[in-house]
Amino acid sequence: MSEGTPGTAALVPPPEEPTLLGLHEMELNFGPQHPATHGVLRVVLKVDGERIVSARPDVGYLHRGTEKLFETETYPMVIPHTDRMDYVAAATNNHAYCLAVEKILGVEVPKRAQYIRVLLDEMQRVSSHLLWLATAAIDLGAITPFFYTFREREVILDLFEEYCGARLTLNCMRIGGLPVDLTPGWVERTQAFFETLEAKIDEYEDLLTENRIWKERTVGIGVLAADRCVAWGVTGPVLRAAGVAWDVRRALPYECYPELEFDIPVGKNADTYDRYLVRVAELRQSRRIALQCCDWLAKNPEGEIRGKVPRVIKPAAGMAYASVEAPKGELGFFLVSSGANKPYRLHVRAPSFVNLQSLPEMIRGHLVSDLVAVIGTYDIVLGEVDR
Amino acid sequence: MSLLDRILLLDIFAGLGVTARHLARPADTVEYPEKAKEPSERFRGMFLLDEERCIKCTLCAIECPINIIYIDWHSEKNAEGKAEKKLDRFDLDMKRCMFCGLCEEACPTNPRSIWLATKTYELGTYERNESLYLDIRKLTQWDGNVKPFPTADPAKAPVNPAKEK
Amino acid sequence: MSQSLLYNVLIPVTKAVVCFLVVALVAGVLTLIERRVLAALQIRKGPNRVGWNGALQWLADVVKLITKEDHVPSKAEKVVHLLAPLLVMAPALTVFAVLPFGPDFSVTLPWIGKVTTPVHAAADVNVALLLLLAVSSIGVYGIILGGWGSNSKYALVGGLRSAAQLISYEVPMGFAVVAAILMANSLSLVAIIEAQRKAGVWFVFPGLIAFFCYFVSGVAETNRIPFDLPEAESELVAGFHTEYSGFRWAIFFLSEYANMIVISTVATTLFFGGWLRPFPNVAWLGFLDVVPPMAWLLLKVCLFLFVYIWFRGTFPRYRFDQLMALGWKALLPISLGNLVLVAFAALWGAAGLRVLGAVLTVAFAGGLLWARLRPARPRGTTSMAGRPAEVRV
Repeated sequence: MSEGTPGTAALVPPPEEPTLLGLHEMELNFGPQHPATHGVLRVVLKVDGERIVSARPDVGYLHRGTEKLFETETYPMVIPHTDRMDYVAAATNNHAYCLAVEKILGVEVPKRAQYIRVLLDEMQRVSSHLLWLATAAIDLGAITPFFYTFREREVILDLFEEYCGARLTLNCMRIGGLPVDLTPGWVERTQAFFETLEAKIDEYEDLLTENRIWKERTVGIGVLAADRCVAWGVTGPVLRAAGVAWDVRRALPYECYPELEFDIPVGKNADTYDRYLVRVAELRQSRRIALQCCDWLAKNPEGEIRGKVPRVIKPAAGMAYASVEAPKGELGFFLVSSGANKPYRLHVRAPSFVNLQSLPEMIRGHLVSDLVAVIGTYDIVLGEVDR
Repeated sequence: MSLLDRILLLDIFAGLGVTARHLARPADTVEYPEKAKEPSERFRGMFLLDEERCIKCTLCAIECPINIIYIDWHSEKNAEGKAEKKLDRFDLDMKRCMFCGLCEEACPTNPRSIWLATKTYELGTYERNESLYLDIRKLTQWDGNVKPFPTADPAKAPVNPAKEK
Repeated sequence: MSQSLLYNVLIPVTKAVVCFLVVALVAGVLTLIERRVLAALQIRKGPNRVGWNGALQWLADVVKLITKEDHVPSKAEKVVHLLAPLLVMAPALTVFAVLPFGPDFSVTLPWIGKVTTPVHAAADVNVALLLLLAVSSIGVYGIILGGWGSNSKYALVGGLRSAAQLISYEVPMGFAVVAAILMANSLSLVAIIEAQRKAGVWFVFPGLIAFFCYFVSGVAETNRIPFDLPEAESELVAGFHTEYSGFRWAIFFLSEYANMIVISTVATTLFFGGWLRPFPNVAWLGFLDVVPPMAWLLLKVCLFLFVYIWFRGTFPRYRFDQLMALGWKALLPISLGNLVLVAFAALWGAAGLRVLGAVLTVAFAGGLLWARLRPARPRGTTSMAGRPAEVRV
C-alpha cells in the first residue's frame, strides 16, 4: 500500500513517535502473576524508560460468574456467595445484600440486630483497613507494619470466629437480622480490644506517617481531583481524600448510624498520602463507632435479633437498591424481583471495580514504582473486581 | 515537620524506635503443629451426621447453596407396621463445601442431626476425591472421621446419641 | 625454606584461603541471623526447626540451593547469564584482601619457627582505600550483565537501576572516605587506625557527617532496603536476579552479604577505630584490653550488620529518581561541605579534630534531647470535615 494512495491513510496506523533515545516504548506486562497486583490484576504498560506512557488494566482473571449464580439461588442461599466477593470484608457484603432484600420485603430489623450489624461492619472495616495498611506498606518496601497490623487483625478474626464460626467468609447476617445471638462476654472482649487499638494505631503512624521515605513515595502520587473522582464514580477513601465528604453512612443513612457519633475524615490533596491519612483516621473513627455500639449492647443484653420474615422469601415483583459504606467504597446491590423465590437479577455495584477504572488516568506520567503505590492505594480486592 | 527535625533525622529515629521496642516483645506467633489455637465453640469445621435422629426431610440438601448433599431414601414398613424412611444414601461432597452452615441451620430436628460446628479444621489430604467425599459411613464415623480436638472439652463437643444408648 | 617464599607466597595464600572460607561461612550464617533478627523485630520467631533452634537452617538452605535446577531462560545470552554471578562474587571477595582485621600477631609454627604477620588476607597496601573503591565498583558489571543477559524485562530494568545507583553513590562515598583520609593523612587502612589511636578520638566524632554519608552510600551500594531498588520485590519481582535459580542465585545472595560485611568493616576501620578498644588513649580503661583486638572489630562489625537488618525491618523503599536525587542533590553537597570543614580541623591537628568532634556530637545529641523534651505533637490530626456530607440527588 503506497503512502500517497488516497483513502487508505486511515487504515495505516500512525508511526509510533520515537522517544528520547530514538527508541520505541517498551511494553511491560505487569501481572497477573506479580507480587504487587493484589491478586490477579494484569496491567499492560507502555513505558518510556521507567515512565508510564499508558496503562491498560486487564481484569477478569478471577471471574466466577457470581451475578449469574445469584439468579439460580433462593434468597437466603445468596448470602454465602456474597462473602466471596470482597473476601476481606465479608460482613459489609452480607449487610448490603440483606439491606436490599429487606428493602424489597419491607422488613424492619430489630434495634439490637442493627447495633450488632453496625458493630460487625465497623470491625470489618478496621480489619480491612489494617490489611490495606499492611499490603500498601509492603508494596512500598516496608515489611514490618504487615506483622503489626496482622496481630490486631487476628484479634478481630478471633472475635468473628467466636460470633459466627468463620474468620473470613463470615456468612454472619440473615435477611431480617442475624443468624445467632452474641456469645456471653463477647461484647466485653470486643470493647477491650478497641480500647487498646488507639495505641497500636499510634505505632503504625510512628512508623510511617512522618517517615521521609514514605512521604516521598506517596505525596503527590496518583492525584485524582474531586471532579475527576466524581466523573469516574469513585467512592470510598479515594473520593474522601479528594475532599468530598461523601460517606454512605451519612449521606444515605442505614441501620442505626444516625444515632452514632462519628466524623468523616477528608483529605485535601487527593494523593496517595492523603488516602493513607484518611484511612488511618477512619480506623480511629471506626473505633469510636464500635465503642459506642459496645456500650449500647452492654446496656441492652437481651432482645430480638431477627425481624418478622416469612419462612419462604418471595418478594413481590419490583426493584430495590441498597448500599452500604464498605471499606472500599459504596457497595450497592440492585435487586430485581419477579415475584419468584429467586432474584430475577442481582447486580452488584462493586467499589473496587468502579474505582479501578480510573487507574489509567491516575497513573499516566508516573514511574513504574508508582504503579505499585497507586494499585495499593485503591485497596482493591480482585474477588470484588471480577466477581 | 520542620527543617531542623529533618536534619536531626527525627522521623527516622521514630520508626527505628518502634521496631526496637518490638524487638524486646515476645513473639506473637505460635508454633503450629505443637501448639495450636483452639477453635471457638461455633467454629465451622467438619461434618457430622446423626443418622438415627435424622428424619430424612432433605431440607439440608435443599438449602445447600451449591447442592453438595445427596440424599436418597425409601419407605419401609417397620415392625409395628408403620411406614418409616430408610436412608439409602447420604453423601456430602466436602471438597466443594464452602462452610456456610446453612444446612445446619435448616435442620428441623432438635437437637440438630447434622453438624458443621466441630472443631476439626485440618482437612488437608493428598488426593481430593475420596477423602473429601463423605458417604454415610464417613459422616457417622465419629472417631475416625472427626478427630476430637486435642484440648477440647469432650463435654462440649456434639455427643453421638447412638453411642450414649 | 627461604623467608621470601614464606612471607610472599605461603602465608598470604593460607590467609586468603582461610579468609575466603570464613567469609563464605559468615555470609551463610548471616542469612540465618538476618532472618532471626528480622523475625524478632516483627514479633515472630523466624526459622527455628533445623538443628538446635534453627541453627542449621543456613546449611539446609545451602544444600537446597546447590541441588536445585540451574535454569537458564530460553533465548538468554547464555555465557553472560552464566558468568554474571561470578563477576559479582569476585570483586566482593577480592576486597577482603586489604581489610585489616587486627594488629600483627605471632605464631610459632613447627619446622619454620616464629612468624609475625598482620591479621590481613593479603597485605597492608598503602593505597588500600583506593583499591577498595576501585574493586568494589567492578561488581556492578555483574549485575548489569546478569540483568541484560536474562532476556527478561524486569531483570533488565533492575540491572539498569543498579548501574545508575552504584555509579552515583560512588561519588558521595568517595568524598566521605576522603574526609577520613584527610584526618589520617594516609590511604592505608592500618595507618588510619593508628592515626585514630594517636588522635585519641575515633574519627566518627569529627567525621560524624562523613560517617553518615558513608553509611547511607554504603547501604545504597549493597542494594539493601531502603535502597534495594534493583531487586525491589514488589515492583520488579526480584530485579536483576529474577531469572536466576539454584546456586547462581545463591552466589548473588552471598555477594550481597559479603558486600555488607565489607561496608561494615570499612566503616568500622575509618570511623570507629577498627580493632581499637573504645577510648584507646584513656589509661584507666586499660582493663578493656583483655578483649582481643579482633573481637572489638567483630563486635563493631556486628553492630553495623544489625543496623543493616534494623533498617530493613523499618523503612519503606525509595523510588528510583528519588534515590538519585538523594545521592546527587543531598549527599554530594553535604559530603563536599563536610570535606571543607574537616580539612580546616585537620589543619589544626589532633586538637582540631577533637574540637570539631565535640561540637558536632554535642550539637546532634543536644538536638535530639531537645526534640525528646518538647511537647509531643497531637495524634490523629488529619483534616476532618466533621460534618455530614451533603446528599447528592
